[in-house]
Amino acid sequence: MSQFYRRLPRLQYFLPKTLDEALSFLKEHKAAARLFAGGTDLVPQLKKRETDIPLYLVDLKGIQGLDAITYDEVAGLKIGPLATISAIATCPFVQDHYPSLFQAASSMASPQVRNRGTFAGNICSAVPSADSAPALLALEASVRLLGRKGEREVPIGQFFTGPRKTVLEADEMLLEIGVPSPKPGSRGVYLKLSPRHSMDLAIVGVAAVGTCEDGMCKDIKIALGAVAPTPIRVPAAEATLEGKRVTPGIIEEASQKAASQCSPIDDHRASQEYRRDMVYILARRALNRVLVQ
Amino acid sequence: MKEYTVIGQRVPRIDGREKVMGQAKYAADYSLPGMLFCKVARLPVAHARILNIDTSKAERLPGVKAVVTAKDFNGWTWGFMANTRDEPPLAMDKVRYYMEAVAGVAAIDEDIAEEACDLIKVDYEELPAVFDPEEAIQEGAPVVHDYRPNNVSVEYHWNFGDVEKAFAESHLVREDRFRTSRATKGYLEPPASLAWYDPAGSITVWAAKQSPYFHYRHLAACFGLPLSKIRVIQPFIGGGFGGTKNDSVAGDFCAVLLSRMTGKPVKFIYTQEEELTVSKRRHSMIVYNKMGMSKDGLITAIQSRVIADGGGYTAVSPLTMYLTGCCTPLPYRLPNYKYDCYRAFTNNPICAAMRGHGVTHTRFACEIQMEMMAEELGIDPVEIRMRNAIDNPKPGEIYRTINDMTLKTCGIKEAIQTLVRDPLWAQKDEAPKQDGSVSYGVGMSATSYLGGARQLGHQSCAATVRICEDGTVNLITGATDCGQGSDTVLAMIAAEELGVRYQDIDFKMVDSAYTPVDPGSYGSRVTVLAGQAVQTAAADAKKQLLDILGREWKVNPGEIEIKNAEVYHKSNPSRRIPFDKLAKIACYSGSGAVIIGKGYSGYGIEPLGFENGRGNAGTSFSFTAQTTRAGVDMETGHVTISDFVIAHDCGRPLNPIGAESQNEGGAVQGMGQAIYEDFIMDRGKTLNPTFLDYKMPRSTDVPNIKVIDIITDDPDGPFGAKEASEGSHVSAPPSVVAAIHDATGIWFKEQPVTAEKIVKGLKEKGKWPR
Repeated sequence: MSQFYRRLPRLQYFLPKTLDEALSFLKEHKAAARLFAGGTDLVPQLKKRETDIPLYLVDLKGIQGLDAITYDEVAGLKIGPLATISAIATCPFVQDHYPSLFQAASSMASPQVRNRGTFAGNICSAVPSADSAPALLALEASVRLLGRKGEREVPIGQFFTGPRKTVLEADEMLLEIGVPSPKPGSRGVYLKLSPRHSMDLAIVGVAAVGTCEDGMCKDIKIALGAVAPTPIRVPAAEATLEGKRVTPGIIEEASQKAASQCSPIDDHRASQEYRRDMVYILARRALNRVLVQ
Repeated sequence: MKEYTVIGQRVPRIDGREKVMGQAKYAADYSLPGMLFCKVARLPVAHARILNIDTSKAERLPGVKAVVTAKDFNGWTWGFMANTRDEPPLAMDKVRYYMEAVAGVAAIDEDIAEEACDLIKVDYEELPAVFDPEEAIQEGAPVVHDYRPNNVSVEYHWNFGDVEKAFAESHLVREDRFRTSRATKGYLEPPASLAWYDPAGSITVWAAKQSPYFHYRHLAACFGLPLSKIRVIQPFIGGGFGGTKNDSVAGDFCAVLLSRMTGKPVKFIYTQEEELTVSKRRHSMIVYNKMGMSKDGLITAIQSRVIADGGGYTAVSPLTMYLTGCCTPLPYRLPNYKYDCYRAFTNNPICAAMRGHGVTHTRFACEIQMEMMAEELGIDPVEIRMRNAIDNPKPGEIYRTINDMTLKTCGIKEAIQTLVRDPLWAQKDEAPKQDGSVSYGVGMSATSYLGGARQLGHQSCAATVRICEDGTVNLITGATDCGQGSDTVLAMIAAEELGVRYQDIDFKMVDSAYTPVDPGSYGSRVTVLAGQAVQTAAADAKKQLLDILGREWKVNPGEIEIKNAEVYHKSNPSRRIPFDKLAKIACYSGSGAVIIGKGYSGYGIEPLGFENGRGNAGTSFSFTAQTTRAGVDMETGHVTISDFVIAHDCGRPLNPIGAESQNEGGAVQGMGQAIYEDFIMDRGKTLNPTFLDYKMPRSTDVPNIKVIDIITDDPDGPFGAKEASEGSHVSAPPSVVAAIHDATGIWFKEQPVTAEKIVKGLKEKGKWPR
């Protein structure tokens, strides 16, 4: 009758040693099995009975090599499904080449959660306020999914389908997040607004990645978190800037467009109006940081 | 000035080592063989008539040993006053707030107990409900309790002097509406207890109670047992802050009854979410405040009309509403005062006491309103305070407020002047006012809080000091340290008075079978009143020891002194023995010689004038002045508090580390209330019952805090002490809000002043960029 946080429901725990073992288990049990990486999102959801209770937890942490993070100038950044949020935040490649990703990873949750939770898990949970998502959207990342029907690559922009919903099939797992190499001279930023100074959820998150040459905006990608059912890009705002001379007026116009293109909700964390207003403020700050010296 | 050897030393906490090593045991850590687990079943509706409760499915679940509902308590109800005993252990005919308890289950493990709760079927008829306190007291509103058809649970109408005449003669009169937030305590340890109903007819509980003797009386009354059969053993307590841990909760009564039914020990632990959904929280109050001032800024009159959201039951609120009114004549002279309060029953969770009890609401309103008026009159925030502040009475003299509260010491003027000299205030105009989108401001407040609170009934604290033959000492009191550090302070007082070392004192925690009855840890009373009892008991033990040694040495006992565990003849200091030797001589001095000092606080049981608001709500009053520096992002509304300076008159800090940390903790909790904390409600349901969404300050939000002691040595306190902690809890919100005003030019009258409210305020003033 009462539905407070409870103890974990009774579950069968499975610890595969290889990817094949994990995938064939998923194939056999489909929705009755749930993948378990860091568990920082799944465990509270299970305790709260907010998700269907699976029969099996398939712990990926017994499989070697899934926590790799690699980078080269051609292939870009590859993030394995068990790479923790801390690993991203402390990875020299990420710090050097993807500042927006670094800022997103270091702003997430608490040090304990960052040490335990995985970056891929944050994507797969598909919470609209996930900090990792706007940065990945602005960087035009893609995810490699592996399942019964084989492997497929999905652009991150097509991965999220709704709050806590993705294109992942019951028997699929995310194998890798791929982020293209940064364009020469590009800059990036992730700005997060939360009530407190740390360990808090984003009311609004704005990522921008772009290049400005001789005062002209060569390219710009703007992505927003926590202001729509999924993290979103704002193409109209981007189109305002692309190929144009960067002026305060045009940044203003693009920021207004970003604010008008989102569809935030009113809830106990913030009102719709405040969220929309803050998209404008944060977009303006982000664009100034990326496009103006 | 007297030289102290223990008092004033920065000693480590007496329980520090155990707590830091993880060895301290809390209620939830206790277990007994054969123990069952209790879970409480609750109804997720705010107001409903209960038609039937069917527990048969739950009872048939394997592993379930017993289920109780309201009928098993035979109609017993409890409450603070004889005419407010309106709260049953489990809902009887109605539920009056969301998730009120309707049944208790005992099972062999927690999972089964939870599952059994799901199997309890309640047939109910949902009733029209009321959630807004101002609507609740209007005619025609849904009635929460039949015995209060107007939904007014408590009301007082006090009148001192002639406010109407004073307003008419005032140069400036202002009226404003203020509102305080629905705050909660936020302790880490939720309610828990292990209960054992001995088949021979006595109850033993290991319960998380900051005032174990409330619970002791509740259990005796509920189960019809004499007090001699009730044993409340107090484990370490993981935070209190008033309210829930003073009182008993549904789980307490269910666990005892389930133990009686099953013959097994029964334990319950609320989850933090359960605690945040159903436990007693601070009242949110609407304060309609009217203040009059003369041309030169002297306050001529205050009229406060307060409407408090009380939730579903009365609890301790007759005291809440008393405290909300009685302290308004402090810390400024007030010649005319009128107070009308209405505490409304609503279908929200119950509201009760919390740190800064009552005073925080009206002091916030008065402090802000006074500054608004000073601004209109062109008087500076320091000047307005100094012109109105109460002077420190000369030794032997008493300052009497218009409602007959009496002060023997008052350090408010010295506190304000100290802050004026401190760099945060003195150099505020040299510090940058603007950096990018961030505006900076500095604000001040000056407040007061009572120490040694009293309420109805038994008020006295008692202590015994037992001398062991090796010179060590058992200190036995009825006082509870719920985290504030009182065990440490009481041990220091015993050591100082007796003349031994701090580490010679062993402190025994409450066990109602052996320790003396005590009112409890609320209203900043432990150091002040239990401290007085300990001091007296130690003096008594010392007298017994010196009498024996006087006979032995053939000198007048008055010529012998004990200091630092050394005993010596005052005029011939070379004649000396160590304290352990004296202890041995005394304990072995005759057949059956036992040295036990006894003492109790001198504070009696004079009734408070609940109806007319006259009298002392405490033995003494602390005074606090506080400055705050805040940065406000004028685009996002985000507030960063960088500095607090707190000048605090606690009479004399006995353990300076403890007094500092209490001031810091109180101020940070007050800051949470000022800018972050609020329960967001939707028709009686708490939407943010987690610490993710109920936003208390994190360590990264906490400013640099400087605490400056103002020493006034109150004659009624042990070694001059008054209260510390509730004072800075009260001073923080107005000081923070004044700093936000200094940064933004806007006075915010509703707590918490969130970023969103700031942006809204800036938009209204045309100061926001979009």
